[in-house]
Formats: sequence, C-alpha cells, structure tokens
Amino acid sequence: MGRAIRMHPEDNVATVLSDVDAGQEVEVEGTGEQIRIEAGESVPFGHKIALAAIPSKRKVKKYGETIGIATSAIKPGMHVHVHNIKSSRR
Amino acid sequence: MAARKASSKKAAAKKSASATFSGFRRPSGGPGARNHLAVISTMDNSNPIVRRICSLRKDLIGVNTSFGRALYDEDQNQHFRVMGHLAGHPNVGAAIVVGLEPKTSGAIAEAAVKASPWMPIEVVTVHEVGGTLKITSKALELADRLSRHLSAARREPCELGEITLGTECGGSDTTSGLVSNPVTGMVADRVIDAGGTVIFSETLEIVGAEHLLARRAADAKTRRRILACVKRTLDYAESLGVDLIGSNPTDDNIAGGLSSIEEKSLGAVKKGGTRPIVEVVGVGERPENRGTVFADAPCGGVENITSLAASGAQAIIFSTGIGNPVGHPIAPTIKVTGNPRTATHMAENIDVNLRGVMDGEISYDEAAERLLGELLEVLGGKLTTSELLGETEVTVSRATLNG
Repeated sequence: MGRAIRMHPEDNVATVLSDVDAGQEVEVEGTGEQIRIEAGESVPFGHKIALAAIPSKRKVKKYGETIGIATSAIKPGMHVHVHNIKSSRR
Repeated sequence: MAARKASSKKAAAKKSASATFSGFRRPSGGPGARNHLAVISTMDNSNPIVRRICSLRKDLIGVNTSFGRALYDEDQNQHFRVMGHLAGHPNVGAAIVVGLEPKTSGAIAEAAVKASPWMPIEVVTVHEVGGTLKITSKALELADRLSRHLSAARREPCELGEITLGTECGGSDTTSGLVSNPVTGMVADRVIDAGGTVIFSETLEIVGAEHLLARRAADAKTRRRILACVKRTLDYAESLGVDLIGSNPTDDNIAGGLSSIEEKSLGAVKKGGTRPIVEVVGVGERPENRGTVFADAPCGGVENITSLAASGAQAIIFSTGIGNPVGHPIAPTIKVTGNPRTATHMAENIDVNLRGVMDGEISYDEAAERLLGELLEVLGGKLTTSELLGETEVTVSRATLNG
C-alpha cells in the first residue's frame, strides 16, 4: 500500500510519500477522510497523484490554492506534473 | 455522549492551560525567554574586542556583526536599527555596546533604549576609553555590576500569546513543504490564536505566490506592500537579466516533484500559518500590531534570523529539509525537520525530529503538539542545539539587497 498526503480538503491532488507503481493502491491521509486511489501510472516520491478527474484548463489545487492549470484531461490516479499542468503565471 | 463532551472540554482546557511558559517579565514589551547580558559590537571593526571581552567571562553573549562603517542613507539606518533592536531585545536583560567612537555606538544604544526603555545599557568606545586592553578592562568592570543585577531576576508564569515567534525555512527540500513548514505553520496559528505575533519573511520565496498571499492581507495597505516588495525583487532581478518567474521551479525542484512556481512558494509560505496578515515590516523593524506579520527580508538563513530577532522574536522556529546548523545568539532557534536522513545525519543540530510524519507514525496534529511543546520549553529556558554548540551567528543585510 502506497501513502500520500493531501494538504487541504479542497485539493484535487495529493503528494506521494514513497515511489508508487502503476496499479498500486494508495492511501491518502492528511484531511481526516479515508481516501484510497489506484495509481494509474508510476508516481515518484514527492510527486503528485490526481485524486479526481481534472478536465483540461481546470485548476489544479494543493494547499487549498491553485498551483497550476491542467494542459490536458487528467484521470484520477494519474501523475500530475509539468507534462500535464502549467503555472498560471506564464 | 455527555461524558465524551465533558472529557473533550477538559482536554481543550488542558490544551490552553498548558500554553504557558516561565519567562522574565519586563516593565514594557513582551517577556524574555532568556536574560542575557549582551555585548553588542557596533560594527565589524569592534568584533575582535567583543570576542576578547566574551572570552574572559562566562556570563556574556557576544553579538558580532558584519559591515557598519562608512554606510549611508538606508543602509546605515538599517544597520543601526537591527543592532539597536538586538541590544534592546526582550531576551536581553542588560547590554554593553562596544564601538570605535561614540556617535555610531550612541545611535545603536539610542535604538535599544527606544525599544526597551527599562534596560540598563552601557556604551564603551575605543576613542573615549582607550585601546584594546583598556576598553576590555572597562567592559569587564561594567559586566560585573550588570551581571550581579541580572542574577537576581526570576522567571514568572507567562502566556504563549505574549510572545512574538519568528518562523524561517532554510535548506529546504520536498519534506519542507510536506512536513516541517506546514507543522511550523500550525504552531504559528496556535500562537496567533493565543493572541501572539508571528513574523515570517523571505521575499524571494513568496515570488509566484504573492497574489495568493496578498489575499490573506487584513487591509489594502498591507496587500499593496506585499505586492510591492515582490515587484521590487522581480524588477531588481530583471535589471540583472534574471527572469525569476521564468526560471522557477528549477530543474532539481522539478525532479523533486514541484510543478510550478506557485507550488514552490506556497510550500515555503506554509511556515507562516494561515491567519490574516496584519502588517508588513522592513528588516529588523518592530511590528506595531499583534498578529501575523510579513517581514520584507532576504532568505539567507543568518540574515533572516537576524532580521526576525531584531523585529522582537523571543524564539525562532527554523524549518529545514536537508539541514542547516545555524541559530541566533539572542533568539533561541528551534531546528525542526521532517527529513528522516537529516534527523539522523545531523541529529546534534536538530531540536525536533518529525520524521514520524513521513513514516506514518504520527499525525500532523501530534507533530504540531510536539513542536509547540518544544517551543514552550525553550521559551522557559531549555537550551537549543545551536545554543549548546555555540552555532550562532548574526549578519545585517545591506538595504540595497533586501529581498
């Protein structure tokens, strides 16, 4: 079982606390809710996993704030990083 | 259900009752976590004399500095303000200002008296007293009298809400944004909710998230100042041909999992907690309001803790990932890490080890309780790793390089 931390109840991503393999179950802690999600692909330690479907051009939220905009549709359990989100400052 | 309610009420009462520490009450200003007899160097040329004086007695804390001579305008104001506010700090019971000549030494003593009108402050200068041996002898005589006076002081019960806490992050890595910064922020919120003040800073590290931070401003003036100090930092970098927004996050940040500058900066500002920002202060300025305060100060660790201490922080929580041994001589500096390797590799430099959060052994709430407990103990006199090892340093930023 992999582990991840969600920093705020509004977040649609969580940060994984160890390397997670595709197909592995991930237990998401941090906001008091019991959430489990299956990793759709491998996610390295310290990187983010999508907790919900994030349509293209929608906000990616961490710490309860917008950390970027999705550049393509992101499915739950997918790796969320520079390949599918971009800063709202650029 | 009724019994459960009663017990949770009891627990809440215990929680608030335990947020006290033993400190030194001052006639004005906040309580002291220490009662130092500080020997303050006016500028770099006085450091050797201060070191010599402090080597000859066990009851002195030397505060050496960088620069000081031939400064002008805001650089000079900032130097005098910071050194004066360190002398007139609530953790200092009495101070001896040591300098080359009376004018600049007097300016520092004046700033100290303004901050703490109750404090006995002596000034000794080479031009008035004489060379190295004469000035050392004079300072030792003064120290004898002041130290006896200080030794009569006793700690008394104080509330957490009476303090100013500084929060800083240095040697950051992935664990900083995940563990040590958020847990530091939780303790910061506890200090605010108890009626205290929290100062966090590092202008360069809020770049990219300033629009999000500005939302926390309590009023329009504070909002404008947050945005203005970030703009100044961006403009200065641009004048040197550096695009801070475009060059962040860096390649190693991306490898570590940070996807945008907002995400990087949001992780850094977590150390300031979540409460409204009531004021922005410059390097070493004392806030006028109680609450969460942003200090427009550089992010180098020593410069930053110098600014936080000069702004009146009785203690500093220093959140670190890969580790940094340094602390402040006047404001005890609590090193906290969530990085399992740093907690072992640099155990002698770490005050609070929160690797248990990464390992899934303790919750964020438990981690915050542990850090708050350590803060209260340190405020009450427990020595920090940097105090024990003498890993303390002071440096005053140049005003032109603020941020």
